[in-house]
Amino acid sequence: MKKGLKLTDILVTIVISLVFGVIYKLWSPVYSAVKPIGLHVDQLLYGMWFLAGPLAFLIIRKPGVALLAETAASSGELLMGSEWGLSTLIYGLIQGLLAELILALFRYKKANVLVVSLAAIASCAGSIVFDYFQGYIDALVWWNLGLFFIARFVGSVLIAGVIAYGLAKALEKTGVTGLVRGSTEEDVRSLDD
Amino acid sequence: MEGIAKETWLHRVNPSIKLLLSLGVLISLLFIHNLNVMLLLTIVIIICFAFGTGVSRKIALLFFLPFFLLFCSSVLTMALYGKGSTFWWEWGIFRVSEESFYRGVHLGFRALTFGLIGLIFVCTTHPVRLFYSLMQQLRFPPKFAYSFMASIRLLPIIWDEFQTIRMAHQVRGFSPGKGWKGFKSKLSAYAVPLLAQSIRRAYRIAVAMEAKRFKGNQKRTYYYQLSIGKWDFLFLLFLLGITGIVWIGSEWIQLLPNQDVRLV
Repeated sequence: MKKGLKLTDILVTIVISLVFGVIYKLWSPVYSAVKPIGLHVDQLLYGMWFLAGPLAFLIIRKPGVALLAETAASSGELLMGSEWGLSTLIYGLIQGLLAELILALFRYKKANVLVVSLAAIASCAGSIVFDYFQGYIDALVWWNLGLFFIARFVGSVLIAGVIAYGLAKALEKTGVTGLVRGSTEEDVRSLDD
Repeated sequence: MEGIAKETWLHRVNPSIKLLLSLGVLISLLFIHNLNVMLLLTIVIIICFAFGTGVSRKIALLFFLPFFLLFCSSVLTMALYGKGSTFWWEWGIFRVSEESFYRGVHLGFRALTFGLIGLIFVCTTHPVRLFYSLMQQLRFPPKFAYSFMASIRLLPIIWDEFQTIRMAHQVRGFSPGKGWKGFKSKLSAYAVPLLAQSIRRAYRIAVAMEAKRFKGNQKRTYYYQLSIGKWDFLFLLFLLGITGIVWIGSEWIQLLPNQDVRLV
């Protein structure tokens, strides 16, 4: 086994990510439209922008995939003419890096809903750090800032954790994940039988 | 984004240089806290977008619409819920203060400039040239660059597939229902087949590329040769020029209060 990502892994990750790039782009007007409702209902939707990384990891389960997916999805969003402009690239990179970090902490061995939710939370924390520099969020009134945090974290766990896991499970049933994951120990054992 | 824009001089700037310099501008924008300077910059960038990208008026307006939505929502959130002491208007939980209002407007302009810089970049850069340039000027691994280019080609196919699935559901009278259950069945009806098919297609393409001995690591030749030249230098001068104009201009022109919008 060669180390690192093969062309197949990269191509599959980037194709998935670009699909999410389109979704990310279409998600922005939805988010902006919900925003004036106030009370940070919009933040519940924010998790959508973290979905590509955990999902790509769940499908391919290799180191580096989450980072690549999130960065590629954000550049896809940029190429679609994102409202957030080049800052999507920075967001994507930070979110991808932090999700990757969590997955690395588990040595890429665990791929359950808890781990991807943690990765989603890490992405979320990363986005908030950049928001702090960009959006003066510290200047919101305290109760409002609290709501902001809660809504964004809950949204990310729901979308980039639970939904990502559900989607990956459904994809496993179609059998496509077998194409990219390569042979498992179980497959090798079945050859001996 | 090709085909909708006339070519301008910005198209001739090397994509990698344009990307790096634009990112530089973006980051330096984070350090502007003066409302008046921000306003002038926004005006300059809108002018650049309108006259520099060669995009037709109609399409420019179409692009601009979601940007405007984002601008309004950015202003509103901070204006309604931001901290401040000089209250203008209060109603229930909403308290608009002078400080929070100006901070909101500043954030709106910032979001607008961020978006427009990205849009200027996208409208004046052909994706294929971008990835060729990334490989040649920034030593981006070809494995990644070609994967990107192949994936971009797949997007229209995925869109067609989406339409097919939708029509198939319509013909069969598929109704996902409402609420969480409806959302779930809609998700599995669209996302799962689309993703599964995309993964299969990507896998086949990768196999084909490898069969053609595409390794994506070794030294290779390029069909498009991109280099760094006079237009890149001009672009740098242009950015410095804008900075100079706004810097000096903000001393003379005061449209909005010349104040720091951060918390004091």
